[in-house]
Amino acid sequence: MSLLEIQDLVQHFPIAGSKSVVRAVNEVSFSLEKGETLALVGESGSGKTTIGRCVLGLIRPTAGRISFRGIDLGGSKTVRSPDLRGKLQLVFQEPTESLNPRQRVFEQIDEPLRALKVPRPDREKKVREAARRVGLAEALLDRYPAEVSMGLQQRVGIARAMISDPEVVVLDEPTSALDPTARAEIIDLLIRIQRDLGTAYLFISHDLSAVRHISHRIAVLYLGKIVEQGPSATLFAQPSHPYSVALLSSVLLPNPRIRSGSSIRLSGEIPSPINLPPACYLAGRCPLAIEPCRSAMPPVETVAPNHDVRCYRHGEVAGLVPDFDSFARFQSEADRILSAGVPAL
Amino acid sequence: MQMLAYIGRRLIFVGPQLVGILLVSFLLLKLIPGDPAVMMLGPFATDDGLARLRSELGLDRSIFEQFDIYLWRVIHGDLGSSWQTTMPVTSDLAQRFPATLELVTLSLLLALAIGMPLGIAGARNKTGILRKIADYYGLVAGALPDFWFALVLIFILYTILGVAPAPLGRIDFTVIPPPDVTGSLLIDSFISGNWAALGNAAGHLVLPVLTLGLINAAPILKMTQSTMERMLEADFSRYAEMCGLPPKVVARKALRNSLPSVITIVSVLYGFLIGGAVLVEIVFSWGGAGQYAVQGVLNADLNPVMGFVLYSAILSLVIYLLVDLIYFAIDPRTR
Amino acid sequence: MATTSAKTSDDNEPAAILACRNVSVEFPQYGAAASVALRDVSLNLRAGEVLGLVGESGSGKTMLARAIMRLVPPPGEIAKGSIHFDGKNLAELDQESLRKIRGRDIAMIISNPRGELDPLQTVGQQIASVLRHHLDLDRKVARDRALDLLKQVSIPDPQRRLDAYPHELSGGMAQRVVIAIALACSPRFIISDDATSGLDVTVQAQVLELIRSLVSERGTSMMFITRDIGITAHYCDRIAIIYAGEIMEIAERAVFFDDPQHPYTVLLLAAFAQNERLRRYWLGEDKARENSGPSPVGCSFQNRCVRVRERCRTDHPALIERQPGHLVRCHYPVERS
Repeated sequence: MSLLEIQDLVQHFPIAGSKSVVRAVNEVSFSLEKGETLALVGESGSGKTTIGRCVLGLIRPTAGRISFRGIDLGGSKTVRSPDLRGKLQLVFQEPTESLNPRQRVFEQIDEPLRALKVPRPDREKKVREAARRVGLAEALLDRYPAEVSMGLQQRVGIARAMISDPEVVVLDEPTSALDPTARAEIIDLLIRIQRDLGTAYLFISHDLSAVRHISHRIAVLYLGKIVEQGPSATLFAQPSHPYSVALLSSVLLPNPRIRSGSSIRLSGEIPSPINLPPACYLAGRCPLAIEPCRSAMPPVETVAPNHDVRCYRHGEVAGLVPDFDSFARFQSEADRILSAGVPAL
Repeated sequence: MQMLAYIGRRLIFVGPQLVGILLVSFLLLKLIPGDPAVMMLGPFATDDGLARLRSELGLDRSIFEQFDIYLWRVIHGDLGSSWQTTMPVTSDLAQRFPATLELVTLSLLLALAIGMPLGIAGARNKTGILRKIADYYGLVAGALPDFWFALVLIFILYTILGVAPAPLGRIDFTVIPPPDVTGSLLIDSFISGNWAALGNAAGHLVLPVLTLGLINAAPILKMTQSTMERMLEADFSRYAEMCGLPPKVVARKALRNSLPSVITIVSVLYGFLIGGAVLVEIVFSWGGAGQYAVQGVLNADLNPVMGFVLYSAILSLVIYLLVDLIYFAIDPRTR
Repeated sequence: MATTSAKTSDDNEPAAILACRNVSVEFPQYGAAASVALRDVSLNLRAGEVLGLVGESGSGKTMLARAIMRLVPPPGEIAKGSIHFDGKNLAELDQESLRKIRGRDIAMIISNPRGELDPLQTVGQQIASVLRHHLDLDRKVARDRALDLLKQVSIPDPQRRLDAYPHELSGGMAQRVVIAIALACSPRFIISDDATSGLDVTVQAQVLELIRSLVSERGTSMMFITRDIGITAHYCDRIAIIYAGEIMEIAERAVFFDDPQHPYTVLLLAAFAQNERLRRYWLGEDKARENSGPSPVGCSFQNRCVRVRERCRTDHPALIERQPGHLVRCHYPVERS
């Protein structure tokens, strides 16, 4: 039994004053184990944020099953039941907007505990501990959010999510509003917290270098459907869906010599989730699309253990990108450049 | 096409909206103490006579029954008559409503002619002399009561200088008025070629229009200036500057983007002034609709008041529809 | 003094199209010393060169772009320095002459174009109005040129897009429109300010390729401002790092990425690395975090520097040319053997 299990999740939003619906999530299934990080990767309109909201019970799914520790969450009610309270938490994308500007940092972190009716002396201790864990200096607890940097604000957001000892934390693009260095620091912090506490992360992002760093498994979403799912290392080394390849090759690593020489270039932009393409959603943009791609949705195929792909031509895609992992090549070069000036062990 | 459908949708709601407005004002009027029967029969009426008149007027029935009867008559085009003028309300209003409309329309045109250019100039140059003038103007005009300002104008321009006509109505008694077509003296004398009446009526309009125009230029100025300032600092204006477009073109873009707010404030002022011009109407013995309605309220004369409410409500609905259509035309995002 | 130094360096590098000398931008404050947004920035841009300018939010990278355009938001002002473009000192030019340069000789590509285009005008009108004001074209010719430009930036269905309003465009398409406007008058110099940051990554890749091909086709010089150092490795010839309004390091691309010497540059690169020991060292991970903004005294980077020493607290380091064309502002630059 997985810690969190999502089965055939569907989320459609009706559009007011019209018969059409936004098909945000279309039959998505995945699971999350204790202490694991699963990354949901995709661009705008991929449904990744919606999935996160469904998991937290913030919206009731149109169809599908979400279970936590084997208990069917079935919408918002169960999530708020006493023994599940605070066990699922969320970290937002925009720290500036998700923090109350009129509350001191201490009260922000303290908030979930007050909701859980933890006695005051315990709260005080826990808040200080959480602040220490996320690297917030003691002096910052009395400040207001606007008085600290964005990176620090996001640390407050993380401390607040962690204070109720959650088992699953949904991280909704926690780094995309931050500058690159603050981004890296937050990622490292999250990894350290997971190592210490065994929290499972659902890491929602479009930033693949961050994803590569933090996640154990990756699910690639396109227009509310998982097109490829597999272990992080495999997916980066041997992506088998044209969309995954395109996403990976759009990552620009800071080394002019390392450039993903991918031969897959997508044309155009992401279609609207209101009028989904009839068969494979990517067919209109994919250079490899053939007749079947336009007539029927490709089935999920397992190409390696735990590695599923939804593409008729996954064999050829894999063949097109031998030794794709520019990330690995980049790392060895980066090690050389970064070791200068670093004291030896 | 889309536009027609939109107008159609809006019109469907006009009926219920009017009934709602009438009901609310009917109930409010009934809350005001004052018995029409007493007012009509005077101090020497007998109890018997009063009772008879009350039942004739239907005042002995419940409020809702009374409203029901009133509504039924309104639907058939009968707004009742005023016991003060002894005339049907429709014919009273046919005379008075255009008088007010003429006054308010011209005043707002003047207000726009003063407020917008001054507001635009003030927004474009925040340190210039025009900005100073605009700020002081807004402050002073915002603080002046309109009837007092009207009296000052009369004192200076009529009593002392003698350049303005006496504040006694819309046209001199000695001038033959044009035949009634639209109710607006200016338009009517123009189409009938009665130049003497045209000149005289225009002369009488000068002081009240000056009063209302100068006072109401202040809110228009403030709105234009603040919106325009915001638009000049908006991203698209900054980008237009980066593209090297001349300041005039940048200002024009900002102005177009400010227009919806200016139109909104004008439409609000318009609806407000139909009744709100009453003090100025009284000062100038204008014989307008506001004056008529206030007389009605004071003398428990219900029908004129209700008639005024109905006319103003219809006018406001028309104005708001027009405003929406103008938004439609200006802003592609609303289409 | 500033003009003469600009002259001599122009003689050394005859192909320089833009030369900033000691440009400082300050915001006067009530009862306090002015806050400095740019401090003594000196930069040369050669014809046809793409210079990457990398900095975090608030580092002054956008302020430099605006200083070059002479559009520093008030009350900010160019307190000193010269900006030579095409034989003219932009810092001293009158507004009318500046206006003729903006959009015509120096064009700007901005981010979030949907918010920056006029919501009430069609795409065609907006491109055409730039053409008409700078090149004196008549309405018809300007419209034809606008269509032509939309084709050049590969907008699908350009004829129809000409009459589209900004809110009807996707982010990627609006970005292409802004590029079309930048190219309209064939400028010699383009500033791209975080142009691709709001786009989806696959669309960003398309737009970057488009910018690169258009710029290199025309031999246009470009200043590419971004907070993503990764982009500059692939799309820029030379890279400058800016922190707290100062240039910290500048070098040709190959040298820059092979031998980064400023601790801040290395910190930016370390954000991409996986080696935990190296990452931790450069990111300075284990210390509890207070607000560590730029320091006004000594080296501005001292509060975040892992290599900080006593001298950094008091001495403000100068930008020193350590190898030809490789300038670093640090007392203790990182050295590689």
